[in-house]
Amino acid sequence: MTQPWSGRTIWIVRALAAVSVVSVAATVWLGLWVTPPDQVQRNLVRLVYVHPPIAWVALYLAFGIAAISSLLWLWPRTRSISWDRLAAASMEVGTVFTALTLVTGAIWGRPTWGVWWAWDARLTSTALLLVLQLGYLALRRIPGDPDTRARRCAIGAVFAAVDVPIVHFSVNWWRTLHQGATVLNANLSPTIHGVMAWTLLLGFVSFTLAFAWMLTVRYRIQVLSDRLEGADLDMALRERWSEGDE
Amino acid sequence: MSYIDAGYAIALAVLAGYAGQLWQRRRRLERLAARTQPETATATAATAPVDRRVTPTLSETRVGA
Repeated sequence: MTQPWSGRTIWIVRALAAVSVVSVAATVWLGLWVTPPDQVQRNLVRLVYVHPPIAWVALYLAFGIAAISSLLWLWPRTRSISWDRLAAASMEVGTVFTALTLVTGAIWGRPTWGVWWAWDARLTSTALLLVLQLGYLALRRIPGDPDTRARRCAIGAVFAAVDVPIVHFSVNWWRTLHQGATVLNANLSPTIHGVMAWTLLLGFVSFTLAFAWMLTVRYRIQVLSDRLEGADLDMALRERWSEGDE
Repeated sequence: MSYIDAGYAIALAVLAGYAGQLWQRRRRLERLAARTQPETATATAATAPVDRRVTPTLSETRVGA
């Protein structure tokens, strides 16, 4: 039986939402009005305070959680329905962030490169990631018993996770239009400083908090959906039994 | 509208819209679950004699033992 959220849980979830909203608002304020224009990119650098943080959530956080949860479900010793639910929740939220990564990247690319889209290794591998995420969500909708569904989705998530290192290293492995890593580069020496670096860091923190809130709520939705699905099945079985008694 | 404004507006609008939709979905399912719970309990009580003959509950097993 699914218990409603306790008062403490509701308080924590609301606090997380409030902190997320405040930190995202601070990122927007710093990014649009406080930070100076860049020497090369001029004002377009302001998009850098939202695009990489959104991409960080989509690629590393959401996909990482989904892949690790799926592996933990596949391993018999740690198998639990909670891992399957966490993977499903993380993948759905991650899909929204991946789509936004592509959209914000295209908006930055149009004035910088002159085109909305290029078949560049980084862009193409990220688009492939979005297709794989949509495929995962489609897999979850295929009818079947929960165990079979969890198994095929877990295998799908682990298979799709192969694309994440390809996206990350694409700028090193191929000649691409997309710039190299600003923070997590080969020398681990960030090429951004001062208030611009702090704003970027705040962007990473704020979008991570927003993701954490969305993941918590989406996980709860998964728990409730599973319970209602089970209740529907119980009801249908009882109806069949009562028909048999008559 | 500049590219910068458009980028921020789209990112924030999509995230806010998705967050609102998640909150609505959760509230709807919570309400549905709260409604289903008593119905399920009533239905279980109605079919209880049949169920008990097939699988005794833990408390009944203890009483029987």
